[in-house]
Amino acid sequence: MAKQERSGGSILQFSPFQSFVDEGFWHRLSSLKLNKFGIDDSPIAITGFYAPCSHSQVSNHLTLLSESLPCDESEQSSVPAISLGNRNRCSVPGILYNTNTLEAYHALDKKSLLKEEAKKIWEDIHTGKAVEDSAVLLRFLLISFADLKKWSFHYWFAFPALVFDPPVTVVELKPASQWFTSEEADSVSVACNGWRNSSLTAGVPFFLVCIASNSHATIRHLKDWEACQGDGRKVLFGFYDPCHLPNNPGWPLRNFLALICSRWNLKTVHFLCYRENRGFADLGVSLVGEAVITIPQGWRDLQCVPNAVGWELNKGRHISRVINLAKSMDPAMLAISAA
Amino acid sequence: MVLSQKLHEAFKGTVERITGPRTVSAFKEKGVLSVSEFIIAGDNLVSKCPTWSWESGEPSKRKSYLPPEKQFLITRNVPCLRRAASVEEEYEAAGGEVLLDNEDNDGWLATHGKPKETKGDEDDNVPSMEALEISKKNHIQSISSYFGGEEEEDIPDMADYEGTNNLIETDPATLQSTYLVAHEPDDDNILRTRTYDVSITYDKYYQTPRVWLTGYDESRMLLQPELVLEDVSQDHARKTVTIEDHPHLPGKHASVHPCRHGAVMKKIIDVLMSRGVEPEVDKYLFLFLKFVASVIPTIEYDYTMDFDLGSSSN
Repeated sequence: MAKQERSGGSILQFSPFQSFVDEGFWHRLSSLKLNKFGIDDSPIAITGFYAPCSHSQVSNHLTLLSESLPCDESEQSSVPAISLGNRNRCSVPGILYNTNTLEAYHALDKKSLLKEEAKKIWEDIHTGKAVEDSAVLLRFLLISFADLKKWSFHYWFAFPALVFDPPVTVVELKPASQWFTSEEADSVSVACNGWRNSSLTAGVPFFLVCIASNSHATIRHLKDWEACQGDGRKVLFGFYDPCHLPNNPGWPLRNFLALICSRWNLKTVHFLCYRENRGFADLGVSLVGEAVITIPQGWRDLQCVPNAVGWELNKGRHISRVINLAKSMDPAMLAISAA
Repeated sequence: MVLSQKLHEAFKGTVERITGPRTVSAFKEKGVLSVSEFIIAGDNLVSKCPTWSWESGEPSKRKSYLPPEKQFLITRNVPCLRRAASVEEEYEAAGGEVLLDNEDNDGWLATHGKPKETKGDEDDNVPSMEALEISKKNHIQSISSYFGGEEEEDIPDMADYEGTNNLIETDPATLQSTYLVAHEPDDDNILRTRTYDVSITYDKYYQTPRVWLTGYDESRMLLQPELVLEDVSQDHARKTVTIEDHPHLPGKHASVHPCRHGAVMKKIIDVLMSRGVEPEVDKYLFLFLKFVASVIPTIEYDYTMDFDLGSSSN
């Protein structure tokens, strides 16, 4: 656990992202597999959804819904698959490797798959794409095997995070309401709610919090970083934090720090873990921290991709998950429950 | 499914197919909603309680009388920290219930009849920061310490493969209490944290909103709908809450049956009007969700707004 002491800082520990797959995702995947993909097992671009923590007791998840998959051609759809501006559905790009057999599923080289996704994040950081479209920092990976005879689905998520070596330390981490003055806190809440309520920005998970000397706060896009400098202004790096824990930031901060230190060469970073209560900014639950970064050797070199971690644990262990949906998919079972 | 229920479903389906949706407002007269009033009330819910959003659901299940992007309302990942049975005594003791219908045994109970008292209840459910700080040390435990030694039945043949990928990721920056349990109100080491996706659909036959519950256990695995009944007030668990196909999502889900929704809403509206409050149709869902809270008292979905129930106007 990160300590709140000022003893030169302890290692900043991030609460891992948690996955959640809605039943509808597996239904559509099955239908696509039968009607469209066949034995083609090339990777598929998918979309995950997440939102800031909205209840102080539970973290939010990276969620897959049926809309996460491309549309099944057998279904006519006049609506865009993903409606932009839904504040409860911030879109995150992902990739799905769905194998044809259980053996192929287990044989997937998980280390190199993770490395491949980490490389994409690394390149997006270096090319500046991550500044324009920050959701690419949250790129995720899903491997699966859909057993359509037994209606069971084996799957495993990875949320690639670039590893700092040495690790980032934290000198201060406290509720945002204690870090800001009360004028600043009020202004930050108003500005964050404005950002979340605009359909243009509601789905942008990384942002800048700029506080002028008169305590007036504005939320800016990452690309405005240069414009925010000077005039004695405080600038914090904010992100939608899915985590609810009072002493740890959530996973999205990891690659964000990698972007901040590579892009702007900062060694001390103030960050805001933005969290909500019932859909509105809650600075008592949100955290502000000060992270100290030692820029690892080789980080200037695009070719030198840092190590990555992020395979999701299943009840504390590195094992795959499996869900059986025979109850809602097996025609025989459906017939019994309908009789 | 019981035969009478099946027959009714078939009848209801036929009526829905051959009759048009309600277009004339009968909100005050019958407590029901037209399709356009449902949209107005839903838009207001989404704007005042932003954890709710409109969704379009399965394309094949789309209803033509609703806009494609506004098929139903949903709020996801709502915590439910206690089973309903454990709080029923408290509700009775608090005296915060109003019997809305005593004609027969199926009468609905509306909690929050005295808003001030229930407000106090809600505050108790939201732990302060200090409570969370303490809970970090006491409550967060790995799942394996709860289920020590017990093999998970949903992980059948993985042991053979475990370790073969050499996936042990040693990383000091990953929080190691890898399975984190939410804050729980009691101290007896029994996991109660469930989460719910709560959705509201428009029921064309009854012309009222209808609430659906999809429950998940603490590792966000789907709960069997039968277990969902533990989070339903015992007065309603076997009678008014049924398990049926969701109109927009796959699978069977628990639902509060809407057969008496119109009558209950009519009574709530009558009470308001007798207190001199003119009910507005865009607030229908707030009233509706307040009354649904008596059926599912421990699922902490959001329906709060600055709203005068009329209790102080006389």
